Amino acid sequence: MGKRRKVILPPELPPETPDEEFEISDEDVEFFSENRSFTNFLASFDKKKIDKHVTRVADKSEDEIERLYERRNRNNAPLDSRENDLQVDPVDALPIKTLDGKLQYRTTKNVRSEEGNVSTDLTGEEDGEKQGTNLIRLTKAERNKKLKKEKKEAKKLKEDEDIAPNSPKEKLRSEVLKEVEEEISAEESFGAKKIKLAEIGMALLEGPEANIRSLKELLDFCKDRDPQVVKLGLMSMLAVFKDIIPSYRIRELTDKELAMPVSEAVRKTRYYEYTLLRSYKSYLQKLIELQKEAIFKLVAVRCMCTLLEAAPHFNLSEKLLAGTVRNISSSDDVIRKLCCEAIKSLFKNEGKHGGEGTVHAVRLIAQLVKKHNCQLHPDSLEVFLSLRFDEDLGKHENKAEEKNKFTKNKKGKQEPMKHLPPSEKKKSKQELIAKTRGEVYADYKAVSFAPDSEKRQRMQSDTLSAVFETYFRILKHAVDASDPRFMSETSGFHAQPLLAPCLEGLGKFSHLIDLDFMADLMSCLKQLSGFSSGTHLQSKTFNVKNSDSNRSYNGLTVSERLQCCIVAFKIMKSNLDALNVDLQDFFMQLYNLLLEYRPYRDRGEVLAEALKTMLWDGRQHDMQRAAAFIKRLATFSLSFGSSEAMTALATLKQLLQKNTKCRSLLENDAGGGSISGLVVKYQPEATDPYLSGALASVLWELSLLSKHYNPSVSQMASNILSMTNLKPTQNIVNPSLIALNPIQAFWESTVQKELLKPMNAKVPPSLKRKRKREQDTEYNVLDPQKLRNIDSEVIGEEEVKLRFEEHFKVLRDISENERFKGELNRTLASISLYDEFKREKLEKERSVALKSGKKKAKVLVKHSSSS
Amino acid sequence: MAKKLGKKARKFARKGLQTVQKQKRKQRTFFKKKSAPRGRGLNGEAPDENEENLNHERNVSQLDQNVGGGHVFDKNIGNLLGEEDEVELEDDFSDSDGYLSEDTECPYISENENENISRDDTARGTFQEENTEIKMQIAKQKKELDKLLAKDKEFAKFLESRRSQLEQYDRMVSDDEEVEGDEEEEEEEEQEEQTRQPVTQTTLDVWCWLVTEDPNSPALRNLLNLYHNASLFGVITSRNEKSAQIVSHEVYSTVINFVLCEADGIFRALLGVAENSNAERILMKLKSSKEWLNVGPLVKSYFKSSIKLLNQVTDTMLLVFLLFRLMSSVVFLHAFSSLGRRLIKILVRFWSTGEDQLSTSAFLLMKEVASQLSSDYFNICMKAMYRTFVARCKFVDDSNLARIDFMKSSFLEITSLDVQQSYLVAVSSLQRLGDVVKHSSTTKKKEDLMKINNWQYINCLNLWVKFICLNYKENNLQQLFDKAVRVIFGVTSLFTGPRFLPLKLKCAQMLNDLSLTSGHFIPVSSLVFECLDLTGVVTGKMDGDEEPRLKLSTLLKVPGNLLKSRRFQEECVRSSVEVLCTHFSQWSFHVSLPELSTIPLILLKRCHEKATVESVRRLIKRFIDQAEQNRDFLQMKRDGVSFSPNDQTSIDNFLLLEKSNVKSSFTQFYASMLQNSQIRNMVK
Repeated sequence: MGKRRKVILPPELPPETPDEEFEISDEDVEFFSENRSFTNFLASFDKKKIDKHVTRVADKSEDEIERLYERRNRNNAPLDSRENDLQVDPVDALPIKTLDGKLQYRTTKNVRSEEGNVSTDLTGEEDGEKQGTNLIRLTKAERNKKLKKEKKEAKKLKEDEDIAPNSPKEKLRSEVLKEVEEEISAEESFGAKKIKLAEIGMALLEGPEANIRSLKELLDFCKDRDPQVVKLGLMSMLAVFKDIIPSYRIRELTDKELAMPVSEAVRKTRYYEYTLLRSYKSYLQKLIELQKEAIFKLVAVRCMCTLLEAAPHFNLSEKLLAGTVRNISSSDDVIRKLCCEAIKSLFKNEGKHGGEGTVHAVRLIAQLVKKHNCQLHPDSLEVFLSLRFDEDLGKHENKAEEKNKFTKNKKGKQEPMKHLPPSEKKKSKQELIAKTRGEVYADYKAVSFAPDSEKRQRMQSDTLSAVFETYFRILKHAVDASDPRFMSETSGFHAQPLLAPCLEGLGKFSHLIDLDFMADLMSCLKQLSGFSSGTHLQSKTFNVKNSDSNRSYNGLTVSERLQCCIVAFKIMKSNLDALNVDLQDFFMQLYNLLLEYRPYRDRGEVLAEALKTMLWDGRQHDMQRAAAFIKRLATFSLSFGSSEAMTALATLKQLLQKNTKCRSLLENDAGGGSISGLVVKYQPEATDPYLSGALASVLWELSLLSKHYNPSVSQMASNILSMTNLKPTQNIVNPSLIALNPIQAFWESTVQKELLKPMNAKVPPSLKRKRKREQDTEYNVLDPQKLRNIDSEVIGEEEVKLRFEEHFKVLRDISENERFKGELNRTLASISLYDEFKREKLEKERSVALKSGKKKAKVLVKHSSSS
Repeated sequence: MAKKLGKKARKFARKGLQTVQKQKRKQRTFFKKKSAPRGRGLNGEAPDENEENLNHERNVSQLDQNVGGGHVFDKNIGNLLGEEDEVELEDDFSDSDGYLSEDTECPYISENENENISRDDTARGTFQEENTEIKMQIAKQKKELDKLLAKDKEFAKFLESRRSQLEQYDRMVSDDEEVEGDEEEEEEEEQEEQTRQPVTQTTLDVWCWLVTEDPNSPALRNLLNLYHNASLFGVITSRNEKSAQIVSHEVYSTVINFVLCEADGIFRALLGVAENSNAERILMKLKSSKEWLNVGPLVKSYFKSSIKLLNQVTDTMLLVFLLFRLMSSVVFLHAFSSLGRRLIKILVRFWSTGEDQLSTSAFLLMKEVASQLSSDYFNICMKAMYRTFVARCKFVDDSNLARIDFMKSSFLEITSLDVQQSYLVAVSSLQRLGDVVKHSSTTKKKEDLMKINNWQYINCLNLWVKFICLNYKENNLQQLFDKAVRVIFGVTSLFTGPRFLPLKLKCAQMLNDLSLTSGHFIPVSSLVFECLDLTGVVTGKMDGDEEPRLKLSTLLKVPGNLLKSRRFQEECVRSSVEVLCTHFSQWSFHVSLPELSTIPLILLKRCHEKATVESVRRLIKRFIDQAEQNRDFLQMKRDGVSFSPNDQTSIDNFLLLEKSNVKSSFTQFYASMLQNSQIRNMVK
């Protein structure tokens, strides 16, 4: 039987199943002779068809058949290799480094062992490459050995190749062969290239001076056709550069210097530096170039960011910076995050580059903002928050100058000096300088890495001006956009993505703002926070007209407007402490914004911060205003959730404590009290706190708040209520709650925090009561009347009887039906089994016939059926 | 010959059946502790009972999983209850075959009247026709088979070798038709070979008479056996050749009717228990007495058969009837915990899926079970109901709103029977609901939010809120209350934007309910502010009266296209005004109402100015007027008092008198508003 199978092997069968695999054991033979029925299928073969196949093949010469097979095999091969490639790639992205420093690529070996033939020219090329590198490199024994091994392998492959051309060359065949070889060689070369990359990289890391020229080779990889190889090349170069870039900047040599005769060591170093710089330059160029291509973008950006972080001091960092900043507002989250992080680290580690990078980066960002008309991702401006400005700059300098008489004119800011001990290093340096001559000092300064403080100061002021320029630009833009005159044109154009980080930054650096800008800035903020110079009625109508409730008429969200107020306060506080300008307009804004606030839509923490900076931190407030805010905050806490209520109450409490006279609000003074203001009756809807007449009101809210479901709120409310009994001088009510500022109060009682509160699973004692077993006629929720009606709807006995009879009949019929169906199926099955029976019988007989080998089975079957 | 072979085939089939079953039974013993000794009558009962009690604890916990199709649950809400899914163990229901040993004295009167095989009036034409058709087909096919057999002698042998294959066909048919949960019937099938005599109507009449005369009569056993047979009727005849005792429809209906109507009385008479006495206590006493030893098996057989019948019958009215008959003898179930669980399982099914009447009566019976029997039954009932509720409340629309309402309230009825026990369930469920919110608020992932923004979650939350409201006054549920409020606020914090307004409104309603029952102040107004901000942005056509009425009660998230439609705004404003109404009316006589209404009124006025739709404007205007009236009234009253905000007692007493009898327009307005909202939320 096995033999037969071999013969009728159809051409479609994959040729990789060689004949040798068909070993027929005795057991097999025995088995088949015993179980003839298993070979039934052989009988059902269409012999004619098989014959046709066989004869068709047989028509041609043996060679041709062979060729056909071969071709088909080859056609299949590329597919396989491609699959292999895909499978292998992710694993091989990184090589394995063994303890003795060898790099291993598992799959390449596999590939090599699998595929026998490699195109000749490619191997040659590779060989050449290897030899080339061999010539330049200082070969170590280890590497030599490796190379030898590779050479040997290559030789072997070559031999294989030599055998290949022996076979008869036909045009078609050679074409196909070429294709296949290309595929295979691509696969092969990828592996080889990876190894090569790793080798070069290793060599460079081991001895950068000796192998500096290999950088060029690495660079060549980045021009490869295979994007995978390019990526790998880029990454390897990144790793190499990160390691070998010196901690100083390489200076271009002057002609004079070049002309001077130098020692061998110097020449070597110069050569090294020159090569390094040149390769670095071309690498950067490559990166910038590749950055524009979608597939390489991420890799390129990653390389640039890493380089920027690692070597911001090195030559050409401007290019790096430009590349990074360009992507800082990228729509791709990963790229944007990378760039932002890189810039942030640049700002944070100024020591690495002496501040030049900072100035440059800030300027670039400023340009970017200008170019894009303030339409960037907020992240790109948030990086400014990582900036650090040293206020004490120039202090040590001044000291040193006094001491050493190296008088230098400082134009530092007139800021109060703080006492920070100068670092030891700096001191000793200064002493050293003191001992040397001025020329030496100048020389030292020229080569010294750390820029002197004058330079630093200049850079810092440059940075600051660029930062504020950006901030003001954004503010201006926001103001312009919010201008009612532009509203019609830019309706719907509300987006001020940069405003939030801008305001945040202004808040942070408020102490550094130049006094000259102050007035402008304040008016900007005033406008943005929603203040309009006209009457409030006007602003109100604007509010009404504007359909989008989320944003006010000037297109800013409540949070943003609150932030404006906060910034204004911070600025005033840090700069104009002495002047004590009243920020009435901002208070009024806050007073009204409390009504606009919506929980979860607006940021509660901003509200809390606003309350803290404007009311909690402030000193004595005007009594009218304080009263108005106290009343408003109390009313506010009646309508909003517990965290908002807590914030408001914390502020309220502070206000009551500071403004002792306002405590009269806690008491219901029938006569209206001696301190009622201009307005005799409280106007809750007034927009101006001064006109609300809050002093005439009573804080009734607190009585309802003391019933608040949240225990902390109700406790706070009762706490405040108990302040009534205090003398004006007494302040502390409950030390535990007094410490809470509005922001803390907000975070203390957020919903998330509330949810964390555990629940006691124990049954409360008062629950332990007897079950009401006996009162089963009592209903709490359901309508008892309806339930009773159900009783009466129950059908009578007669009806029940009839229905049961009907039910019985249905059941009987169904069961009968079931039985019949079963019977029918059985019968049908028996009939259908007959076919099988017939077939079996036939086989039996045929197998008998086969054994005896007398007649063909076909005849026998005919015979038996006829009989 | 043909006939012979047909018989043979059938024989094979039956034989095969038995072998298969033997195997099955063997396997089953691995899962079941209790084997099913055959023919266990009276004597086998007592030890069985003990065992049952021993296993009780285990069984109860099992049932939690079994009842109500726990596997249907979503994974996320499925663990609302807190139990892990256990392997569903088989219900050890068939601990005896259900037949009682009979007294041979009983008369069998066999008159070969025409009633026996009278194929009288057709029940339902469909099956009759089909049956005849099949019969004809069988005859045809058989003929063909005969032909084949005649042709080849060896074929018969071959057929024999393939009998297992043939059996499959047989099985296939019966498997299709098998009713869920009837695994035990195979056992009944091959029980005692003693073929029972068919019972005629006359015999039955005599038996009935005997039993009514003397409850102790042996005929009772016969009757109960017959009843058992009747309960098995549709199932047993399908595969068994020996037809049961019942051959006529009269006998069938009479025996069922008689047993159902009289059994309870007879059992009580036998036990010597008065009709309306505290049955349970007496039963406890009787449990060890001699009477019970005799009556127990009878009662068990009665229940077992009745439960089978419940599974068999499809007619709603019949089921209602059955349930009502069973209600009177619920007390007896106490002795048979497995039967009780079985019954509860069926009841829960009826309760959750049956028609109005059926579900109500199922609920009534369940309540009876929960209140009359031990607390284990209560637990089983409650948990099964809760699970079923959770599984069935995933979607809400007009069609099932009433059903979900009914399920909610009937569940609450059950829970209020024993607050102590249900408290524990409530705690764990709320804990779970809270955990979901907590998780979502940290991750803010869309799929996590979807776990909350669905009906299952909201319905569960609502259920427990209702539970708290119902029992707050009499019990100390402060903890549950706190948790529920926190969870609801957590839910509202997760969803912003007008699309989730219906969800927020629902939350606001729940908070209002909680606030009303607890007397705590819960600030709800901010939840509807967003809704008020929305008004005025109508894009749809103004005269679109043909727009379908929007029902916020069946929505959680508004489809985007409706967001700016006029109808939606109307509904929104109406609902938010209602929420505010409830809120204000609760505090309408509190001293700080003017302050409470300040911010909402300011916003409402703004909203009124913006609103473009006349109906919305009118609605808001009316509300503003009334609320202002309320405010002015209170301000006037407040001006006259001299106490301060920290004088809590005076504040509590403030306007106490007015509260009860003032018929001011605003109170009436609030009342009518609330009434309207209730009407509107009902299904039309």
